[in-house]
Amino acid sequence: MTKRDGPSSLEERLAQRGLSRRDFLKFAGLMTATLALPATYTSRVAKALLTATRPPVVWLAFQDCTGDSESFLRANNPNVTSLLLETISLDYHETLMAPVGAMSEKSLMDTVNNYPGQYIAIVEGSIPTANGGIHCTINGQTALSRAQLVCSNALATIAVGSCAWDGGIAAAVPNPTGALGVKDAVPGLPKLINLPGCPHNVINLAAVITHYLTFRQWPPTDSQGRPTFAYGEDVHEECPRKDHFEAGRFVLAWGDAGHRQGWCMCKMGCKGPETKHNCPTVKWNDGTCWPVQAGHGCVGCAHEKFWDQMSPFYASVDCSD
Amino acid sequence: MQDTNAVQKIAIDPITRIEGHLRIEAQIENGKVTDAWSAGMMFRGIELIVAGRDPRDAWVFTQRICGV
Repeated sequence: MTKRDGPSSLEERLAQRGLSRRDFLKFAGLMTATLALPATYTSRVAKALLTATRPPVVWLAFQDCTGDSESFLRANNPNVTSLLLETISLDYHETLMAPVGAMSEKSLMDTVNNYPGQYIAIVEGSIPTANGGIHCTINGQTALSRAQLVCSNALATIAVGSCAWDGGIAAAVPNPTGALGVKDAVPGLPKLINLPGCPHNVINLAAVITHYLTFRQWPPTDSQGRPTFAYGEDVHEECPRKDHFEAGRFVLAWGDAGHRQGWCMCKMGCKGPETKHNCPTVKWNDGTCWPVQAGHGCVGCAHEKFWDQMSPFYASVDCSD
Repeated sequence: MQDTNAVQKIAIDPITRIEGHLRIEAQIENGKVTDAWSAGMMFRGIELIVAGRDPRDAWVFTQRICGV
C-alpha cells in the first residue's frame, strides 16, 4: 500500500495513545489466535503491523443504525480500536471525522481519486433501491450511486454487519425501501468480504485487516464471501453449554432452576445450532461476554436473512441430538 | 464577487459526528440566516416491518433503530 507513514513509527504512535508494547503484542497474539494460526505466527503478525504502510480506509454508512461503528469503537483491552486506527488511515467516517458537508466530501473523494485500487472501503448499513434509491441520500446522492462509485474503485470492500451483507433489518418483510446488501446492490466488485452479524464483531474486522497486512492476501472465505476463520463453525459447536444440550438439560422457563445453573437454552429459542459465527470464542466487549453466557439464547444474527428466517426468536429449533 | 444583498441558499450534507443522515439547508440574506431547514435523509420503515410479528420479538427489532 502506498499511504505514507508519518515521521513516527507505529510504536511511537501507540505510545502517544497510551498504548504499551505489551498492549501491541497482546493485540498481535489476539489476531493470530482469531485467525486460527499457530502461535508461532505471532511475531510475523507483529512485524507486519509494525512495518506496513497504513492503507487508506473509507467507511461508508447507508441504512444503518451505527451499530457496526459502535462495535468498531467498543474495544478497550487491548484497545483494538486504537490499534486499528494506528495501522490503517481512516480517511472518511461520518460519525467520527472532524470535517462536515463539502469538506467531508472532499476527504472521501481525495482518497477515492488519489488512491484508486488501493483503499479499502468498509460499508455499514443496507442500500435502498425502491423509488430510485431515494430512501438514503448523502450529499444529494443516493446510497446506491455512492456505493457503486466508491466500492468499484477500491482494493477491496468489507461489508460489516448484516445490513451490508443481505439488507438486514431494512430488508425484512415487507422491505419497504427495496433494501439490498452490497453483494446484491453492487454485484461484480473486485473483492468483497462479508462480515455478517448484528453487529459484526470488531475482532473479526481487525483480523481480516491484519491478515492482509501480514500476508498481502485476504483470508480464505466461503461461498458467501465470509472469512472461514470467523464463520466456519456453528455457534453451537464451541458453545460451553453444549454438554447440557447433549445431556438433555434444558431451560424451560426464564429464571427456572436450569436457567440459574446455566443449562442449554435450545428450548427457549437459541439458534446457535443453525448459525455460523465465532461468538463463543472471541466473545464481545473485549472478550467479556456473549449472549448465551449472559443467559439468553443466540438469535442467529449472523445467519442469512435472520430477521425473517431466525424469527420468531423464541421459537425453538430441533433440540434432539 | 458575491453580492451580499443576494439571497443565497447553502446546504450542508452530510452533517458529521452524529448518528444518522442529516441535511441542513440555510437561506442567507445580507450575511444573516433568514430561514433554515433540516431533513433526515434515510428511511427504513421499521414500524411497517415489525407489524404482524410475534410480539415477543418486538424488542429485538426496535432496538435496531439505533445502535449507539
